[in-house]
Amino acid sequence: MISTQLLYALAGVGLFAIGLRATLLHHLLLPRLLALNVCGAGVFLIFIAIAYAGIEGMPDPVPHALVLTGIVVAVSATAMALALGRRLENIKSDAIKSEATKSETLKSAAVKPEAMNDE
Amino acid sequence: MIEILWFMVDVMLVLLLLALAWTTCSSRDVMRAVTLFIAMGLLLAIIWARLKAPDLALAEAIIGAGISGALLLSAIRDYPSTAIAVDRSPLMHSIINTFTMALTIVMSWAAWHGLNMSDGVRLSEQVASQLAVSGVSNPVTAVLLNFRAYDTLLELAVVLTAVLTVLILNDKRADSTAPGPLLQGMTRWLVPLLVVTSGYLLWVGAHAPGGAFQAGAMLAAAMILLQLAYPSIHQGFNLYLLKILLVIGIFIFVLTGLWMMSVNDDFLAFSPAHAGTLILVIETAATISIAAALTLAYIGGRPTGWEADNHGNRAMTEKGGAE
Amino acid sequence: MSNAIIWVIMIPLLGSLISIIWSRYASLIAIISNLVALVASTAVLMRVYQSGPFLHELGGWHAGLGISLRADALSSILLVMSMTVISAATFYASAYFTDAAKRARFWPLWLMLTVALNALLLSGDLFNLYVTLELLGLSAVALTALSDNRAALQAAIRYLSIGLLGSLVFLAGVALVYAGYGTLDLATLASLVQANPLSQVAFGLMTAGLLIKSALFPLHFWLPSAHASAPAPVSAALSALVVKVAVYILLRLWVDVFDLVLTLSSTMLLGILGAIAVIWGSWQALQAQRLKLMAAYSTVAQIGYLFIFLPLIAALPEGALQDAAFTALLLMALTHGFAKSAFFLSAGVIQQYCGHDRIAELGGTARALPLTIFVISLSGVALIGLPPSGSFLGKWYLISSSFQAGQWWWIPVVLVGSVLATAYVFRILGHAFGPGESIGRVLNRGREEIPALILALFATLILGFGSAELWDLVAQHAEAAGN
Repeated sequence: MISTQLLYALAGVGLFAIGLRATLLHHLLLPRLLALNVCGAGVFLIFIAIAYAGIEGMPDPVPHALVLTGIVVAVSATAMALALGRRLENIKSDAIKSEATKSETLKSAAVKPEAMNDE
Repeated sequence: MIEILWFMVDVMLVLLLLALAWTTCSSRDVMRAVTLFIAMGLLLAIIWARLKAPDLALAEAIIGAGISGALLLSAIRDYPSTAIAVDRSPLMHSIINTFTMALTIVMSWAAWHGLNMSDGVRLSEQVASQLAVSGVSNPVTAVLLNFRAYDTLLELAVVLTAVLTVLILNDKRADSTAPGPLLQGMTRWLVPLLVVTSGYLLWVGAHAPGGAFQAGAMLAAAMILLQLAYPSIHQGFNLYLLKILLVIGIFIFVLTGLWMMSVNDDFLAFSPAHAGTLILVIETAATISIAAALTLAYIGGRPTGWEADNHGNRAMTEKGGAE
Repeated sequence: MSNAIIWVIMIPLLGSLISIIWSRYASLIAIISNLVALVASTAVLMRVYQSGPFLHELGGWHAGLGISLRADALSSILLVMSMTVISAATFYASAYFTDAAKRARFWPLWLMLTVALNALLLSGDLFNLYVTLELLGLSAVALTALSDNRAALQAAIRYLSIGLLGSLVFLAGVALVYAGYGTLDLATLASLVQANPLSQVAFGLMTAGLLIKSALFPLHFWLPSAHASAPAPVSAALSALVVKVAVYILLRLWVDVFDLVLTLSSTMLLGILGAIAVIWGSWQALQAQRLKLMAAYSTVAQIGYLFIFLPLIAALPEGALQDAAFTALLLMALTHGFAKSAFFLSAGVIQQYCGHDRIAELGGTARALPLTIFVISLSGVALIGLPPSGSFLGKWYLISSSFQAGQWWWIPVVLVGSVLATAYVFRILGHAFGPGESIGRVLNRGREEIPALILALFATLILGFGSAELWDLVAQHAEAAGN
């Protein structure tokens, strides 16, 4: 029977691998972000597994502090990535909209050359 | 006997975790993926509790599942489609699969080796011996805000950088549905509760699980809830005050560190007599900053007049789509 | 001034906070912060020069329990280079951004980038390195996205995703190190680490993460678009500094901590990837249509040179030869840092003047912007590796080390790379000196051009002539570290 530490450490490695595989496979932002967060959770699990000292003993607090830092960094990076993605979508849809209004303008100019154009 | 039961519980938790992670990453639908991700976050919180890391369990539930989940859910609407397609050729697919499989084996072997190599003590003895002079009795808080305070300082800088980016990008969001009376009613009860609990977490962090990050995130959750229920509530907020709130955490932290440098000739060297008070002051400032940062990161957009060099009362948060 | 090492990190941090509140004076705050930090970094270098490497235990907690800051020859020289480039680019940026709103967004993030660079170079703790890497990555991405156009945002998103992946892989390595050795302090680990499977896997993971961050072929694909679409001062910092410090961490881990773990074959692999980077990057630079894209590909190539040094350093016996190779690596890194930043700043001036940076249409710029083109020529000299630039000495020692170590196959790579560099530099100059209309828009160019000139002079002249000092300093480090 393997120790609790090793069980959770291997689980961490498994999470890391699952997240890594998904990061490499996906190219869209949102699935990639989810995969990166899973990857991070895997590393955190490895740390906490190392820190575990049995059901009676006191765990090692240093990895706990490290993982806490890691969780906050991960959520900050996620927030930033989502804002970047949203801004890109804004720019793309603005471009499409301005293309649409441009072609509308050209069309109505062609149809009614005397009429005034309104935006 | 007890060990076998615990082992069975552990195996179940691990299998469930791996299953959730796998389905999150291979789901074809964005909404389903995010929901599974939030569920995975909550399961992780349970696992942290199982592994005797209650500070982490709190943090994971509030930040990892709560705030991350809220951020991801609100992002789904702004994407053109909810379907996830994998665009790699079958050859690439198999290369990636083989590579990660090999990596798993290698890392597992290294992990097993590493656990055997060490005597299991690592840094815990050093922490235990110095805990008495650290000013707090919660060892995790002692590490975070005394022994390795410099890391925490840089981490606050990371949070600030992320929220600054969100603010400069001025991303416009899609319109959200109008909140119903159920949400508003619940919010009236929940928000005061959340604020009080956040204050409790901040205070109790010195001697029990808790601390600035959990408290700050819970406060942010309260503000986000308020924002969801009363979407126009952010208007009328003093911008100058907002900037001060964002900055005050790091500011107090650095100033305290420099003050200690002049008193004790070492940056961030808290004199044992005052360490507890200093840590509490720093944590309070940090809680405020974290709450402000995470709330702004969720709300997005850029407040009008953000760049104006005014010291007056410019109000209004500008959010491109009508809210 | 014994606390200079603290001020170097804290002054830009305070400057960043203050520039958020007082955005009207942000330019002034930034210039003052960076100049003070430059002085502090010189103080750190002086201290290392006079009394050797030193450790600063933060909070007074002894190493292991707390975090320690570490200054030695390698880190303090890179620190001074970093602050010099940042200060020059700060002056440049104060004139470059004409829109007040853009300025207000730029300065807090730019100062945060400075904090991240300095904190990283001085860090003596593995997890602290991870946090500084994250801070560096996030601020670099934020600055890249400042251009606010489609290309910049796509590049920024890719940069962020890849950067996060690199950091996580690095952190996985850190976790394994902690599992086996129970400490995160670099100085303590240096005496503990042995060659065993755990160390190899952990070091492999950390290396992989750092290779992503330093854009070594084939993990370089994120770099060209990011460096080309960022605003000019940001590109300068990205190419000259941000990718460099990842290589620095790799060197630090290898030389100090994992020296027993390293095998010749793994360094040979890195060297081969570096060689491919040199050829491929230079070739792509030659094909590039835009000035900044060319510079970005050139960075990929120049990073490749740094990695070619690794198998040589590993193969040479300890002593003067190995030290010479190590110093040559440092010299190449420094020269490229100064030269590439000067190049990007000049490209920014050209872009403002002509409204674009298409190389084929640069005709007439030599008449209109003589100083800028002169700066480009100077940096070109350093990029090619002509005397008296620092990179000439660097390549000279690269070639002689290849002979000494019996790894003659690097020599044709270096020669081909230099020929290609000559080709792409002269391509720019050929167009610039060619006939064409000068557009004649008046710019406040002094504040932009002079910093670029100073950086280029460093690369081409000062480093070349002053390299003797460098040799002494690094030899001192080698003795002290006892590798």
